Amino acid sequence: MRIETCYFCSSKIYPGHGMHFVRNDSKIFKFCRSKCHRAFKKKKNPRKVAWTKAYRKTAGKELSVDPSFEFEKRRNVPVKYDREFWMKSLEAIRKIDIIRQRRANHFVMQRLRKARELEIQHDVREVQRDMALIRSPAAGLKERRAQEEGIVEEVHESDDEMEVTNASEHLAEESDMEEALDSDEAPELVEVS
Amino acid sequence: MTYKRKKYHYGDTHLKKKWRTKRRTKDLDQIDEDLKEENAEKLLKQQVDTDKPGKAQFYCLHCARYFINDQALNEHFRTKVHKRRMKALELEPYTIEESEKAGGLGNYTAPQKRKIETQKPITEDCKRAKLEDDEMSDEA
Repeated sequence: MRIETCYFCSSKIYPGHGMHFVRNDSKIFKFCRSKCHRAFKKKKNPRKVAWTKAYRKTAGKELSVDPSFEFEKRRNVPVKYDREFWMKSLEAIRKIDIIRQRRANHFVMQRLRKARELEIQHDVREVQRDMALIRSPAAGLKERRAQEEGIVEEVHESDDEMEVTNASEHLAEESDMEEALDSDEAPELVEVS
Repeated sequence: MTYKRKKYHYGDTHLKKKWRTKRRTKDLDQIDEDLKEENAEKLLKQQVDTDKPGKAQFYCLHCARYFINDQALNEHFRTKVHKRRMKALELEPYTIEESEKAGGLGNYTAPQKRKIETQKPITEDCKRAKLEDDEMSDEA
């Protein structure tokens, strides 16, 4: 008795299930159910069909390279029965299975964590682009103009000094914004002075 | 004057016939095997077979098709069908071994991309050489 793997979806085929197709070059294709057989007859590429294992592994959805995959082997010679050996290997199988499961879960979690990072990046970009929606660019324009006029009147000759002070103010404003974002407050509540 | 049609139902017999394993065309992994040099040579220089189109003298390796003459073959190289096939062959084809790997028998390695080029089109020189060959064989 042998548990085969489906050609199309790579699932297990237990005895009495599915069907075999022998191509005219004597290669044997095994299918777990008619769904897979039909897809094969239509010459579908399993790598491009989202519900197959081949797709999930090529697309990086699942753990594909790991030493725990190396344990499974195709053995064409039966092993002589030895109680102790069987008990040991059964125990080992269970242990390996647990380890593989854990690694696979870890892989998936790592993959999902990437999305969170991208989400944050996207949010930051959105706030920076649409700052005008949170705070009108015209807010406090009157005061600023009045101040500028006052300064210009006061210091008429030292223009470069004023530029420097303006630039430093601008920087301070930006850093305020970033701090507000880092503290994970809702952007509506952020008030930029 | 128009009459009522006798048969409206189009059915799916034509589709079923197309995908019957009875008329199965070569799979990509078989073609990949054909592309190996020793096999390719055999397929491109086949003996005259009166049952095949063009007496089996004008064969497209990548599409596994016979054409009736060199003009039809050369025109085929410029078609979408052929270009699509070239694109499909760029990636290593899916095999039974790969399905087992995906099922957990060993590490799964992603398929590699390769460079696939259309076979040389049949030119006048080739034809002349072929004719001479035929004459030689006839004499012998």
